[in-house]
Formats: sequence, structure tokens, C-alpha cells
Amino acid sequence: MVVIIGPSGSGKSTLLRCINRLEKISSGELYVNGTALHDKKIDINRFRREIGIVFQHFNLYPHKTVIDNIVLAPVKVLGLSKEEAAERATSYLSRVGIADKASSYPSQLSGGQQQRLAIARGLAMHPKIMLFDEPTSALDPEMIGEVLDVMRSLAYDGMTMVIVTHEMGFAREVADRVVFMDNGQIIEEGPAASFFDHPREERARTFLSRLIHH
Amino acid sequence: MPGKFDIHVLFNHWDRFAEGFIHTIEASVLALIGSFVLGVIIAVMRISPIRVLNVIGTVYVEFIRNIPLLLVVFFFFLGIPSLGLPLDGFTSGTLGLMVYTASFIAEAIRAGIQSVPTGQTEAARATGLSYIQTMLHIVLPQAIKIVLPAIGNQFINLVKNSSILAVVTGMDLMYYADLINSDTFLPLTVYTIVAVFYLVLTLPLSFAVHYMERRFRSADR
Repeated sequence: MVVIIGPSGSGKSTLLRCINRLEKISSGELYVNGTALHDKKIDINRFRREIGIVFQHFNLYPHKTVIDNIVLAPVKVLGLSKEEAAERATSYLSRVGIADKASSYPSQLSGGQQQRLAIARGLAMHPKIMLFDEPTSALDPEMIGEVLDVMRSLAYDGMTMVIVTHEMGFAREVADRVVFMDNGQIIEEGPAASFFDHPREERARTFLSRLIHH
Repeated sequence: MPGKFDIHVLFNHWDRFAEGFIHTIEASVLALIGSFVLGVIIAVMRISPIRVLNVIGTVYVEFIRNIPLLLVVFFFFLGIPSLGLPLDGFTSGTLGLMVYTASFIAEAIRAGIQSVPTGQTEAARATGLSYIQTMLHIVLPQAIKIVLPAIGNQFINLVKNSSILAVVTGMDLMYYADLINSDTFLPLTVYTIVAVFYLVLTLPLSFAVHYMERRFRSADR
């Protein structure tokens, strides 16, 4: 599990969104799972199946029920039957603790439940990597915990995850590696424990001390 | 006695009023379905990432929207037959209505598509859905809900504009009204009856539009 941190506007989300090419790669080379992502000729839809993403503002489909939010892509992209996909969706809904909401609409869920649904939607594609773009930034404080719990359990199950977050306590607890960015550059990168205890770079030290003191 | 209102005209010429009314409904429904389908296609072309389609869509909308409906109808009624493909008044009138209304519907739907947040497209594309699948399952269903009142207004206009069929012998309500008038010399009576026939079609549509506007305003996503 890799956590990307840094001040706002430092390019964290842009870097994350390059990994599934939601952001246009205008120059340079990027390889993900051995695929040359900067190559415009690759089958991007095929590539994106293997990478789930969870957004800051959930981006659930408001006109579809909770279960239909999950079922759509496995049916249309992976070619699962409706029954298989529904079964798979139900198991992930249980996993994130909202199985009883299957036939509700997203607007009827709390923010924390909506984000857990978004995670279930990503997982149902059986991705090799899960990306999280500030998954708790739009949530009320009392709902952050339930979303972090789901992410923590994923991490313990060995899911490969790249997370942009401002939750330093969470990052320190579960991250294997930390990437610190500022001004569109990776300033420092290393194991989580050593980064948080002894950051090498001055800018990283300033950033961390400001967080601790507020 | 010209100028007098005589309701007997309605009963004496009921068969022609009815036939015209039915043709007006037929032309409206056919043009409505056709212009909706064509409008969706043009709207998707206008916002598609493919430049050629963009240009075709834009030219269509700007060209058709900015010429008189009568001219579009004459294109089908006189223009196409001059190339060796004769079209009757009803067909050419209905085609003209369809092509004309589609340009307005395309603009309404394009606005609707662009009002769907980009996060919706990103979420769908990120799961591996193609551009077309994303349009079909995610963007269009939400866009159409948003623009339904605007499209409803276009359909009201379409019903009223269908009176253009009278000009090209399209056998519609207005066409028969003119015939009945020249038989009876009671223009006030004849055209008042015709107005009521049009209102029977347009008022329910108008109420439906108001209802949708109120419901969508209260229904918060």
C-alpha cells in the first residue's frame, strides 16, 4: 500500500489519475503492470478493468439503485451474467456493511455509506490495483472512521492500493511506502515508518511539523 | 351569413375535421419520434471527441435552426421530387417537421448532457466502459431527465408547426379547415373549431411540462 501525501495543488491527484489515464499523459512514459500507458494505441478500456478507483465525491450513479451501481460494469465490461454479477455485488455489499441497502438509491445513503458503496463498486471488478483519491475529504468527521476501516481491512488482505489522503494517522498505521509531493515533483519516497519519523527532505519536515502542530 | 358563429359546421363537416385531426396527430407523432431519435444522435455528435462528427453536428444545427420551417418543408415537397423522387404532401411535411424540430431537440439534449457532472463519465470510463456504453447507461438517462421539460416544449411547438402541412396539401387539420371554409364561408366558426382541436392536443402537453418542471425542481438528487 502506497500513500501519496503533500500540500494541496502539489499534483497528488494528478499523479493518481495518470495511473488509469483519467488524466491525459502529455509527455513522458508511464508503465503500469507492464503496460505502456503513454502509448495511445493500447486498449484503454481493457486496461482500466484491472484498476479500480474511488473518488473524493463518490461519483455514484444517482439514477441507479445501490446494487445496479455495482452490477453495471461487471455485466457490460466483464460479460458476467446478471445473476453472477448480482451475487458478486451482494457479497461486496456485505463486505462493506451495507447489504441491507441494496435496493435503495445512493441519495438515500449517508456520506460514509456512499463511499463504502463506491469501494464495493471498484472491488466488484476484481481489480489488481485500487486507487483512492482523497476518499475521506468530502465526509463528515464522524463518517471517516467507517471508510478507513474498510480500507484497512483491504490492506490487511493484501490488496495493492495507492491512496491520496490527508489522514496522516491512517497513512502511518497502514502504509508500506509513502510518496511526498510538492509542486508537481516527488520530493521524497520511502518506507512509511522512516518517512514519518525521520523525513530526509526539508520540505517534508516542514509539511509534517505543520500538520502536527495544528 | 358570413361572420356568424354556427356550431352546425362542426357536425355537418365532422368527417373532414376528424380526418384532418387524425392526420395532424399522425404527422406530430411520427415527427416527434423521428426528431427525438435524430436529435439525440446529433447531440451526441456535437459533443463527441471526434472532430468530423462535431463539425457535421454543428453545421446541421446552425443551418436548420436558422432557416424558416417552410423552406425545409419545400425542400422535401419540391426539391427532392425535382431529383426524381416524388413525395406526397403528408410525407414531405412530416419529414420537414422532423428535420427542423430535431435541430432544437439536439440543442436541448446537448445542454442536458453537458450538465451531467464529469465525475459520472470518469467513474464509468474508469471501470472500463466504452464511450458509447457510458453515454447509453450513465450520461443520457440522466441528461434526458434534466431536459424533459425543454423537449416537451419542443413537442408543443411541433404540434402547432404541423399546420405547415396545409401549405403542401398535407391533409392535416389546417388543410381541411381551409376547404371547409371555402365551402361554408364561415371563417370565424371554422377556425375557432380548429383552434379547439389544437388545444386538445397541446394543453395536456403543456400541463405535463409544468408538472415535470415542478417535480424536477423539488426532487433533489
